[in-house]
Amino acid sequence: MMNNSAHVLPRDKGAAPLDFVIAVMAFLAALALGASLIADRAAAGWQSGLAAKLTVQVLPPETGDANAGLQAQIQAALDVLNATPGIAHAELISDTDTQALVEPWIGKNNLVSEIPLPRLIDATIVPGEEVDVAALTQKLKQAAPSALVDDHSRWIGRLGALAGAVRYSAYAILLLIAGATAAAVSFATRAGLSAHHEMVELLHQMGALPSFIARTVEWHYFISALMAALAGTLVAAVLFLGASGLESFGVEAVPFLPPLSLKWTEIPWLLAVPAATAAIAWATARISVLSVVKAIY
Amino acid sequence: MVRFENVGMRYDAGPEVLRDVTFVLEAGSFTFLTGLSGAGKTTLLKLIYLAEPPSRGLITLFGRDLATAKRTALPALRRRIGVVFQDFRLLDHLSAFDNVALPLRLAGKRVSDYARDVEELLSWVGLGDRMNSAPPTLSGGEQQRVAIARAVVARPDLLIADEPTGNVDPEMGARLIRLFSELNRLGTTVLIATHDRTLIETARAREMRLVDGRLVELRASAA
Ligand SMILES: Nc1ncnc2c1ncn2[C@@H]1O[C@H](COP(=O)(O)OP(=O)(O)OP(=O)(O)O)[C@@H](O)[C@H]1O
Ligand SMILES: [Mg+2]
Repeated sequence: MMNNSAHVLPRDKGAAPLDFVIAVMAFLAALALGASLIADRAAAGWQSGLAAKLTVQVLPPETGDANAGLQAQIQAALDVLNATPGIAHAELISDTDTQALVEPWIGKNNLVSEIPLPRLIDATIVPGEEVDVAALTQKLKQAAPSALVDDHSRWIGRLGALAGAVRYSAYAILLLIAGATAAAVSFATRAGLSAHHEMVELLHQMGALPSFIARTVEWHYFISALMAALAGTLVAAVLFLGASGLESFGVEAVPFLPPLSLKWTEIPWLLAVPAATAAIAWATARISVLSVVKAIY
Repeated sequence: MVRFENVGMRYDAGPEVLRDVTFVLEAGSFTFLTGLSGAGKTTLLKLIYLAEPPSRGLITLFGRDLATAKRTALPALRRRIGVVFQDFRLLDHLSAFDNVALPLRLAGKRVSDYARDVEELLSWVGLGDRMNSAPPTLSGGEQQRVAIARAVVARPDLLIADEPTGNVDPEMGARLIRLFSELNRLGTTVLIATHDRTLIETARAREMRLVDGRLVELRASAA
């Protein structure tokens, strides 16, 4: 039956603009979908990266032998950290690294080594475990009064908010484009159908069932929308994969910005675009044909 | 087969095109419908082949009262009717062969089963060498013959032909009438709207004439 119906429809004439519109809309939708995937991944990456670390700052004591006092407090802090459940290991950031960190603000000169800089301890948290920061702060206060714990929660919160904003913007854009695509596809499908009006009426007059008439038309629109949307998505996929090529060429993205490319494993998600496009074209064609047939006696 | 009782028809708010039309087409009958241009012949045929519902009156088709028949029952009735439209209504993107095969395809038949029948029929109406031509490349008379072949190919129970010989020469006209007579002999009820007097004289069948929207019986079946 399907074979029978497939041959009744004219081969496309003048459908190229429709295919082009669908391809472009699919391209944009795939870009938005890819962007939302990247935003998702980046948000997760930022948060887990920061949440996996703790920083303890040890200030030089203001009284007594600054250096000796500092060393004692650092050792005490390290001991506390290493004894804290959930912390994999704690490590003092070396003098040179500390100086490198402040260099942008203070400049590179001998003066730096003479200024009593606070020292930083970098603690790595066992993946998946949580550290009781309040208890840790308590303990450190006793063992090393001039140590300050920073669990990055402020940064995590801010980055989370930023990532959320990026992600929801991408979703909103995706939604808008999906809506526009649906409208364009259904509009174009209806326009195409008016060219087939004569045929629809004739088949109806000959006693074809509405479902048969719909089938002759809907698969045609399903296939051509699928092909056009695949073409648009393919271009977007090539762009996303190509972006990783740029990075490996040394065109580094701004630090902190996520890589602008998709992984191979993420590309299949983009197939949702042609699938949805084809489904929209199919449904629109079917609904339009059935309503046309219904309007005839 | 077809029964009209006091059928009236008007298009939208226009004047009444058909008034109190009453007649019966017996199963297996052969009837001509005549009348001046604009008399309402096509309109009457449309009511029979279920292209329009009547404005009033009762139509019974194949023993079914159309007023009470469900919409979903109509396609099955339409499939039993072969129609030669006054304006042919061929599908331009299909070959002559595929146009003629359309009713068979709708009936779910396979090309292998009907290919020979379609080819034979097209040869019979003189289009054996134009089978793969698209309608726009055919002459008016050739298109008309494709339309006729399409109407008769599935051996319908009822054949409705609207001016089927308007575009062909007298010899071809006589040949087409033989085709209709042959179909009628095999059991199809035939109703032909025409202006062609010679056609009516040769077939010597019943003639109904539309005058001022009313039906006048001119000649009972000669047979
Ligand atoms: N779809 C329509 N809408 C409005 N009026 C119509 C429509 N079809 C036909 N008419 C009118 O109905 C009347 C009868 O038309 P119809 O086509 O039935 O005549 P006819 O007898 O077939 O004429 P002809 O011999 O020229 O084919 C005409 O006055 C015509 O203008
Ligand atoms: Mg007419």
